[in-house]
Amino acid sequence: MVFEMKHITKTYDSVVANDDVSLHLNRGEILSIVGENGAGKSTIMKILYGLEKPDSGEIVVGGRTQRFNNPSDAMAVGIGMVQQHFMLFEQMTVAENIVFKNELKNGPFMDMNKTAETVRQISERYELKIDPLARIADCPVGLRQRVEILKILYQNAEIIIFDEPSAVLTPLEVEALLETIRGLARAGKSIVLITHKLQEVMAVSDRVYVMRQGRVVAERMAADTDISELAMLMVGHPLASYEIDPPKPGETLLETRGLRLMENGREVLKDISLHVNAGEIVGIAGVSGNGQSALIRCITGLEKSTGGQVLVGGVDVTNRSVREIRDAGLAHISEDRYVWGSAPEGTLEENALMARQDDKPFSSRGIIRPRAIRDFAVRLIRDFNVKASSPTQKMRELSGGNAQKLIVAREMSLDTPVLICCEPTRGIDIGAMEAIHNRMLRRREDGAAILLVSSELTEIMSLSDRIYVIFEGRIVGEFERGSMDDRHLGLLMVGGSIGHEQ
Amino acid sequence: MTYLAQVINSTIREITPILLVALCAGVCSKVQVFNIALEGTLLMSSFFAFLTHYFLHNIFLSVAVAMAVAMGMTLIMSTFIVRLKGQPMIVGMALNTFARGFTTFLLSVIFKTKGAVNPSDLKGLTKFDLPVIRRIPFLSTVFGSLTVIDYLAFVLAVVMFIIMYRTVIGFRLRALGINKSAASSLGINVPRYQILATTLSGSMIGLAGCLLTLGRNAMFIQDISGARGYVALAANNLCKGHPLGAMISSALFGFTTALARSLQGTAIRQQLLQCIPYIATIAAMAFYNAYARAKANRKL
Amino acid sequence: MLGIVDTVTQPLIAVLISFLLGAVVILVIGKNPLLAYGEMIRGAFGKQVYLMNTLKRATPIIMGGLAVCMAWRSGYEAMGGEGQMILGAVAAALVGYYLPVPGWLRIPAAMLAAAAAGAVYSMFSGWLFDRFDVTFVISTLMLNYIANYFAAYLCNYPLRDPEANVYQMQNAQTGKLPEDVTLPPIMKGWVHWGFVIAVIAVLVTWFLFKKTSFGYKSRMGGLNPRFALYGGIDARRMLYLVLALSGVMAGLGGSFEVLGSKSRYVDQMIFSTGYAWTGMVAALLANMNPIGTLLASILLAGLAVGGSTMMLNMDIPLEVCNIIEGIITLFMSARMIRIAAGNVRRRRLAKGGGET
Repeated sequence: MVFEMKHITKTYDSVVANDDVSLHLNRGEILSIVGENGAGKSTIMKILYGLEKPDSGEIVVGGRTQRFNNPSDAMAVGIGMVQQHFMLFEQMTVAENIVFKNELKNGPFMDMNKTAETVRQISERYELKIDPLARIADCPVGLRQRVEILKILYQNAEIIIFDEPSAVLTPLEVEALLETIRGLARAGKSIVLITHKLQEVMAVSDRVYVMRQGRVVAERMAADTDISELAMLMVGHPLASYEIDPPKPGETLLETRGLRLMENGREVLKDISLHVNAGEIVGIAGVSGNGQSALIRCITGLEKSTGGQVLVGGVDVTNRSVREIRDAGLAHISEDRYVWGSAPEGTLEENALMARQDDKPFSSRGIIRPRAIRDFAVRLIRDFNVKASSPTQKMRELSGGNAQKLIVAREMSLDTPVLICCEPTRGIDIGAMEAIHNRMLRRREDGAAILLVSSELTEIMSLSDRIYVIFEGRIVGEFERGSMDDRHLGLLMVGGSIGHEQ
Repeated sequence: MTYLAQVINSTIREITPILLVALCAGVCSKVQVFNIALEGTLLMSSFFAFLTHYFLHNIFLSVAVAMAVAMGMTLIMSTFIVRLKGQPMIVGMALNTFARGFTTFLLSVIFKTKGAVNPSDLKGLTKFDLPVIRRIPFLSTVFGSLTVIDYLAFVLAVVMFIIMYRTVIGFRLRALGINKSAASSLGINVPRYQILATTLSGSMIGLAGCLLTLGRNAMFIQDISGARGYVALAANNLCKGHPLGAMISSALFGFTTALARSLQGTAIRQQLLQCIPYIATIAAMAFYNAYARAKANRKL
Repeated sequence: MLGIVDTVTQPLIAVLISFLLGAVVILVIGKNPLLAYGEMIRGAFGKQVYLMNTLKRATPIIMGGLAVCMAWRSGYEAMGGEGQMILGAVAAALVGYYLPVPGWLRIPAAMLAAAAAGAVYSMFSGWLFDRFDVTFVISTLMLNYIANYFAAYLCNYPLRDPEANVYQMQNAQTGKLPEDVTLPPIMKGWVHWGFVIAVIAVLVTWFLFKKTSFGYKSRMGGLNPRFALYGGIDARRMLYLVLALSGVMAGLGGSFEVLGSKSRYVDQMIFSTGYAWTGMVAALLANMNPIGTLLASILLAGLAVGGSTMMLNMDIPLEVCNIIEGIITLFMSARMIRIAAGNVRRRRLAKGGGET
């Protein structure tokens, strides 16, 4: 046993994140911890890595009880963590990132030759190919993750924690990652994998813990279980699937014709033509960073396109202001709820008002009507079941799921013919996710044209009537519901083409 | 010819204080501590350099006191910003207000004046004439009557470059400035690094302060820093915190100031001439940004 | 709860600390701080004439403060109030002295000119930001110096007081405005009407912030510019509008000083008094609340006016007030109380959690 955590309990304010959690890891083992968002799996690993302190409980590493005040303490006994959000210095090289804090010195100076050489050696030993002198800013996501792993190996970690490592990777990169994990285990490292992707769990793990609502609810050997059992243990009940009526095709409400965007001399969008009809949900599938955000920014007026047209309800709104495009009949659930979709420091009322600030009854001739705004905010909160204490509390005080519900409520209540949903359920719990999905389906029934962008392929597959696949700023495929399978989609998403596989 | 040499000479004198302050600003910006207290720090250190020299007639002690005062001011600045989460702009302006009040206060308490103190019996910093150049006609004027600190400023620019871009400590400072949470996730005490780095670099403002009050003759005038702290901030903004680039951008501002001074006595009124360095600062930043933007758009 | 503690207690503590440190400074030069502060308070608020002096001094400070409230609330950390105030003062002096219309008409004309000058100068810094990405900090600081030197040039040469005796003057100045081109006192022995207009400006600003969609838009722009853009708020329009209004406030502040107090532009009259900076401190003390800014401005003006009494009667340099002002600002900048309160709360929670 390389580590053991006994009876760990951790509460944040009044929320119990971990409730009497006990687990252990054996040498050379690949252990998975699965659970929904908010099940407490990240918290327990943060405690192990010294990022959080438990309220009670004991951590034993290498036979000795440990008390970690910070990650350095954890690293000192050989625990390393590949975090979901990479901790890298963008403008520096791979080698510099790897040696940071344990630099190879020559007197007071950096020994860059030795640094590059050492990094090269480690990368060869673990078969993690990388150019030590490449700048992080130029590395794709998969390579950045590799740098994170090498960073931990450089510090001689024996226990490596992966926190949702595949969330940001393309399907091919995920394959490579799983192979890397297996290789590390063969080399004698002990691995903890935190994830909610059960296919990956089954592909690599020896043993699995299932967590739900802060507790460990099950422990299984991977050989003795399967995906459906794990899924049921995770959710606590069998998964519901959406019953969707076939679409009743209507007129085209949103259309782009040959949309192009040049950004810093790079062509981000290449000749994008798509359309969304009334009563239809159209998904855009793609690995994040292939132009989805730019496409939505150009459609919604947040950015000026450099070619092509955007039509909302048949009206040409190309490069009009956000105001004009919204007035033409478009609402927009943005991809990042705190960057674009809300003002975290503003009140719920203020956040609910956005996009209606010049509309009656909320304001007339420039004077706002606080009573109307209050009533409206209260209505949104009630209708969408947002857990909030008062309409005057701050947005950032809401949980992610509730904040997202308020944003969805605001945009859906605009009742526009066109609705754009970008990552509508990213990082929120299953309950909120189902609520939002049901609302989207109801809007579809009402005849709205919905454009859905999501990096969760399952979300796209389960909701969309039609799917466009986007790769490097270009539409590379279009599918009707039923005529697609995720292998083909996955292949197209990384630039492969059907018929040429293997 | 002599006129030209004099202009160059006065340009160099204008450059060096700005350069020293810009070097400090460079370190501050690299570790993500927005320091607008440069102006007040410069004022305080120049006043205390003068004060120490006035009473103790000891040039070394004066320089040391000026550096200590500058470091003290920078320490307060960074502590308030880093530890107490003060809004950088407000912390800076508070210290500048304080410095203006404090120096004028002491000026009137000690010297019973609010204008200038210019004791004729007090010598400034030792002038340092380069051995060979001293005998070459044109160059002797160009490099005439410069102090050790003037030369030191350029040396320090190179030294700062080596520290920031070649040593382990500089590497860590630049890295933590790029991504604070990444650095602290690896166990670096980011606030401590920020405070130490800014405070130590503050000593360079102390040197700049000495140049202002002891550079030629020993004298102090109310508000002697004359926005040099802000100009240095702009200079640092232009060179993006690179110590060698700071030499060039400071030179730009030094030159315009010297130019404005050399045009005195011509048809252009003095007050309008005094606007030149500030206009040049804005213009330089506007042109630079326009150029950078055009370059980014052209890049393929 | 914490919010109230923050907005009320923090200024009090900041003021207390700064006065304590000020007392140390006064002690060091061998004076009695209690007596000095007594003099200060008496000199600021003790008699009607003193109080009126304080209100007179507060007038441009209030306007400078409103200028800061306006811009900073929208997220534009512009510090150009000083330059705008200078140009406003010069414009008022120019129009008030030269405009060939009857005196009663010249007052509004002068104020209008001042507002326009401030607005244009403020929008210029906005243009530099919009067009060239020149940060407000640098552009506005530079523009302040440029305005001051330019004003110095004007009152030294083209607009120099024709009746001035070159040898007697310490500072150059423009011609003295006729009696009927000055803002009269509200009643005999009272402060001039500029103060009333400033109070009205406070109320208007408060109304704008709280009751209009402009106020909503500017606040959203300050809280999260991307969110504002996403919601269809025209960022560029707001930029120029907000900066123009901010400039109007500062410019008017300058005109009050000319029309109500000095009857002319005197070289350095805005720069050396630091009205705009004091206004900024006031706005900060009030956390960008216009009504709070009004109160804080009066207090800070009292500090300066009382300070002069203290200087006259006790021979303590006026700059003690600047020192106090600087320290107040410094301690207001830090979120010490919130941090301290947060620590206590966290500790209590941790403890409670440990026991269960």
